[in-house]
Amino acid sequence: MTDVIRIEGLTKSYGKKRGVTNVGLSVKEGEIYGFIGPNGAGKSTTIRSMLGFLNYEKGCISVFGKDSRKEHTAILKDIGYMPSEAMFYPSMKVSEVIRFAADVRGLDCRKEAEMLCEKLKLDTGKKIKELSLGNRKKVSIVCAMQHKPKLFVFDEPSSGLDPLMQNTFFELIKEYVKEGTTCFLSTHVLSEVSRYCDRAAVMREGKLIKEDSVENLTESSAKNIKVTVDGEHKEYIYNGDINELIRELSVKKLENLYIEEPSLEDMFMHFYEEGNKGGME
Amino acid sequence: MTAILRHEFRLNLKSLLIWALSVGGMGFLCILMYTSMEGEVADMADMFSNMGAFSDAFGMSTLSIATLSGFFATEVGTVHGLGSAMFAAIMATVLLSKEEDAHTGEFLYSLPVSRSRIVIAKGLALLLHLIAFTLICGALYVLGFAALKEDVPWDGFLTLMGRMLFMNLEISAIAILISACSAKNRIGLGLGLSLMFYAYDLIGRVIPDMKDYLFLGPFAAANASEILSGKDEPAKALITAAVISLAALVSAFMIYTQKDLAS
Repeated sequence: MTDVIRIEGLTKSYGKKRGVTNVGLSVKEGEIYGFIGPNGAGKSTTIRSMLGFLNYEKGCISVFGKDSRKEHTAILKDIGYMPSEAMFYPSMKVSEVIRFAADVRGLDCRKEAEMLCEKLKLDTGKKIKELSLGNRKKVSIVCAMQHKPKLFVFDEPSSGLDPLMQNTFFELIKEYVKEGTTCFLSTHVLSEVSRYCDRAAVMREGKLIKEDSVENLTESSAKNIKVTVDGEHKEYIYNGDINELIRELSVKKLENLYIEEPSLEDMFMHFYEEGNKGGME
Repeated sequence: MTAILRHEFRLNLKSLLIWALSVGGMGFLCILMYTSMEGEVADMADMFSNMGAFSDAFGMSTLSIATLSGFFATEVGTVHGLGSAMFAAIMATVLLSKEEDAHTGEFLYSLPVSRSRIVIAKGLALLLHLIAFTLICGALYVLGFAALKEDVPWDGFLTLMGRMLFMNLEISAIAILISACSAKNRIGLGLGLSLMFYAYDLIGRVIPDMKDYLFLGPFAAANASEILSGKDEPAKALITAAVISLAALVSAFMIYTQKDLAS
């Protein structure tokens, strides 16, 4: 499979403030790629560099094999971007915003937009200023999907959407991906990544600390240990030899012991705790 | 690019109509007031024209306020000059920054149009607004003359409206530069700038030592009394305005197409 997105050594700082340092990743054609990290980890900076909103100091980004700096307008033709803040012109009607996005692309997307609005139950006659965050998110989804792009770039897409709409949204993504679209999904909702993504990257403090398939991220040799000894309950990720752990625990008076496959949430927390100790670099 | 131009024009249409009808309406009323004030103004005209530097500043030493042309130049010239300058400054100061200020930038800039084309489309939309503003106001002033059954001094009138438009363009160019440098709307700064330019022109006409530097201000070539009395020498001021406008626009373009966009 060819790389739809390829980022190498991306470094971007905001004066003295940290942005991202030496970020490298690749997204294959037709996959849903999760981009995980807490607020301020550098996810949006990476995305905004990719889309040409920011000038970066080092590194190179190519999308569809095109240089993101030199050919950024050509790249944007095949991208459907949904920013974390779904902000539009307040005095415009929903239908006008959707048509404007299609007009700028020089496309007639009425049929697809109609289908999307129907699925998302979006009232196109309302003005943007009358919409809740959830409904503005729906407008953003329609604007990102109506031209059937080759690549979706979603930045925290599900925040503000009710669970039912989140489900509809991900079903839509799956439908488009089935038809060949690639999806780059930036989120801090780990359940979305474990449920929908093929591969994922974890960002921490401006650095990419892990990139792998979601399966590998959760099915490592690490185990989630929940143990109660002398009334004291402990929960941690154990990454060593399991026989060694059993030997250690056997000398104690155990009340409860669970050894489980860690969830993505557990792995995520593990990366962060390790990182804070300086061990995950 | 046409879609963005159309979008930008529509987005600010309401502001255009409010400002044009307000400024043009005030000018129209001023013209209508002339007949009711004609007698009193005639009595005051001599006094107004002999107030030294003050009369110079308001153009009352060049044209008699007792004539409709003089009254128009003094009253409507001031109203339109200040009103149009404020309108131009407000519209241009937020022209680029409003996308970042209102967080609509990520939507707009994710569409496949280069930043340079966006700047050009927005600039053209502003130009059309300023032309429309001038036409609406001009039409209202002509209506005022017609209501009084007076002839419009077409040569002077058209020159004046053209120069006012040119002055608006220079103020806009400077305000666009402010807009390009800022991620927040600086309406106060734009308004202050237009008032400062007006004050500069006024002071320049009152203080004899400053007369040599009057051409540097945008209002220098748009003095209604000088234009309507045919006593204006605008070449130096117009060339300066063109150079300043061009420099401001090129700088704004360079800055805006290179800068990081705020989220």
